[in-house]
Amino acid sequence: MLEIRDIHTSYGKIAALKGVSLDIADGGLTCLLGPNGAGKTTLIWTIAGILKARAGSMKLDGEEIAGLRAPQIVGKGIVTVPENRLVFPEMTVRDNLIAGSFSRRKDKGGVARDLEEVLERFPRLRERANQDAGTLSGGEQQMLAVGRALMARPKILLMDEPSTGLAPIIVEEIFQIIGQLRDEGKTIFLVEQNAHMALDYADHFYLLEQGHVTFGGVPGEVDHDELIQRAYLGARKAS
Amino acid sequence: MLLDLVQNTVDGLAVGAAYGLLALGFTLIFGVMRRLNIAFGPSIMIGIFAGAWLHAEWSVGMVPVFLAVLAGAVITAAYVERISFAAIRGDAALASMASSFAIWMQLEEAVARVFPGRTYGFPTFDGMPMIEIGPVLLRPEYLVMLVTAAALVAALQWGLAHTRFGLELRTLADRPEAARVSGVNVARVAFLTFLLAAAIGGIAGFLIAAADGQITPKIGLWATIKGLIAMVIGGLGSLRGALIGGLVLGVVEANAQWFLGAAGREMTTYALLFLALVLLPAGLAGRTEAGARAEAERRL
Repeated sequence: MLEIRDIHTSYGKIAALKGVSLDIADGGLTCLLGPNGAGKTTLIWTIAGILKARAGSMKLDGEEIAGLRAPQIVGKGIVTVPENRLVFPEMTVRDNLIAGSFSRRKDKGGVARDLEEVLERFPRLRERANQDAGTLSGGEQQMLAVGRALMARPKILLMDEPSTGLAPIIVEEIFQIIGQLRDEGKTIFLVEQNAHMALDYADHFYLLEQGHVTFGGVPGEVDHDELIQRAYLGARKAS
Repeated sequence: MLLDLVQNTVDGLAVGAAYGLLALGFTLIFGVMRRLNIAFGPSIMIGIFAGAWLHAEWSVGMVPVFLAVLAGAVITAAYVERISFAAIRGDAALASMASSFAIWMQLEEAVARVFPGRTYGFPTFDGMPMIEIGPVLLRPEYLVMLVTAAALVAALQWGLAHTRFGLELRTLADRPEAARVSGVNVARVAFLTFLLAAAIGGIAGFLIAAADGQITPKIGLWATIKGLIAMVIGGLGSLRGALIGGLVLGVVEANAQWFLGAAGREMTTYALLFLALVLLPAGLAGRTEAGARAEAERRL
């Protein structure tokens, strides 16, 4: 369980997160919706330790992790699948995956097993294991980014817009992967533009607007269309 | 005439191999940090003077001199990294460059104080016979340069491909933001890369000083300029390119020196740099222009 309380993050003088509080529950898919510029990616990068929160607290199973730096956060098992995938284009698929296991210095046997497991999970990555990641299609790169994150044995996966720039049929495939990971009991925090799809898979959702969490709930209990209209079309109070 | 050309080319390849090593050092730092360390040459100079001093005071053999050069270069590089790179934000490339320029001046001034003369002797590889390949002669110290450079590059390639540190270094060179999310300790890898580059530069500096038999404090400036030119000719950020750039620079210089004299050599060198920038902006090892642009966008 990751409890985020009153997190503030700024770029210079511009405040991007103005006191965000939310919970990421174990073994479920928590989804964060919101329009562009609401601060969704900023929140991911703050949790990941790449941006530093100005104030606030983040507790992983009761332990304070705000202020830790990125390698330590990965070491705690919070691993990011970044927006635009950000694979290493000039490295082979296999090396990309091994790069995901950096936090597990002393676990050579485990890394080898996990590499095999990831290649098992994504047969297309196995086919292209010795190809440079830059030659992969967008969907394959997304699988690689997920695979790289899995190589760190994550407790919590932070996924930032995994469907961006992908064809609908590929988006479907990516969401099947996400659903499968959730069914295996992995904890997932998903930021997604594709709200319909995300709400279909989410156990819980939050709405982020202008650096504040303005709404949260369980997808089954709200009207999706109404929520999406509010999230993306900026209707402040739909009906 | 043709024989001269062949002889010059052989000599040029040897010196060029040393240039290639200097360029390799620059490229490692630039590739990982996207910042130029122009105090790279002066760090090597400190090592060379440490070696020369050790030799003059205690008349030690080549191995201790070599170790002193290596240690001097690496320790000075650690100092440069802490002051000019670690202490300055990663996106402030110009600040790091200006800062490393200041350190350069500081190092040169320090050496000029401690060694007030203009030139100092440096031990040479004595007693090795000249190597004759038909009519072409190969100086033994040049053979050492060629063999050492080849061995170093092979070791570096292997290390980059097969060691954990090599993989971390490549992630950082390839896509630093992704390296961060993958949990790479960016500060640590950058520091170690700096030391690795200084060690390679120190080896090159030792070989060059031993071939010349004498040194001046200007060897720092010289090493920075040769390394930078070779790196630019080869294409910024490519290890293979750095090596090729060094070899091309060495061969062109050796021939220009022979046929045009010392002034002609300098002019030819800068003409080569100019041509490389205009005709092959991506360098001899040529990433495609689209690739270079994509990379530039990525770094913005």
